[in-house]
Amino acid sequence: MKVQIRKANDVTILDCIGDVDLYSSPHLRETLMEQMHAGNPAVLVNMSDVSYIDSSGIATLVEGLQLSRQTKTRFGLFGLKGNARSVLELARLHKVFAVFSDEPEALERIPSIEPFGGL
Amino acid sequence: MGGVEVTRITTSSDPRLLQVLRGVVRYRAQEAGFVEPDAEALAMAIDEAASNVIRHTYGNRHDARLALEIWTYPDRMELVLEDSGPKVEPGEVHPRPREDVRPGGLGTFFTRSFVDECSYQENFPAGNRLKMVKHISRKAFPER
Repeated sequence: MKVQIRKANDVTILDCIGDVDLYSSPHLRETLMEQMHAGNPAVLVNMSDVSYIDSSGIATLVEGLQLSRQTKTRFGLFGLKGNARSVLELARLHKVFAVFSDEPEALERIPSIEPFGGL
Repeated sequence: MGGVEVTRITTSSDPRLLQVLRGVVRYRAQEAGFVEPDAEALAMAIDEAASNVIRHTYGNRHDARLALEIWTYPDRMELVLEDSGPKVEPGEVHPRPREDVRPGGLGTFFTRSFVDECSYQENFPAGNRLKMVKHISRKAFPER
């Protein structure tokens, strides 16, 4: 799995590409933690190229959510589909995260959510 | 295909090989006639079960043994995952409630959700042997 970092105005976007499992989730975790601690006002995870995510990947996203509350970072996900969406819904976490359908919607709405994950 | 077929794979407990286990299970399930979402559910079941073994039974060691048997019957697939670690007490394996939002603890819940039956073989002499069964033509993805 690759994680590419880019900026859109004040928003940091992490483009995840590939499967997120026990092997690859530490890389996503490390990148998420770095970006949260870097003082970015908003971090979005682009899941549109993630075809597979398991419980270790979900745990990483939950860690990101928890850290966002400490660092007062606005945090959200977009582009969830297939397995990734189903797994998040199965874990009943789709209403815990700020989930947007696509990047334009995420960029439009992320500034207005509360800076702790959208609850 | 009307008979019983078995595929056996032995690997190390290296997490890089999880994608291999998923790929083989997905392929065998598709070949056996499972619809795509069910084949994916089986691949996820083996991923979660093997990840649990790597993390908890082997304490993240990457050089231990994992053995997978894929039994294909006309009406079902059985995945049998064997390890050589300390005995797991099935009564002590509890998925965490989904209402409790925190990192971790979902692996067991996912494993059980993706198959119809999931149980440890009693009296297995060394290590653990976990059997997961999924029948063909059940609902594609677990109820949410």
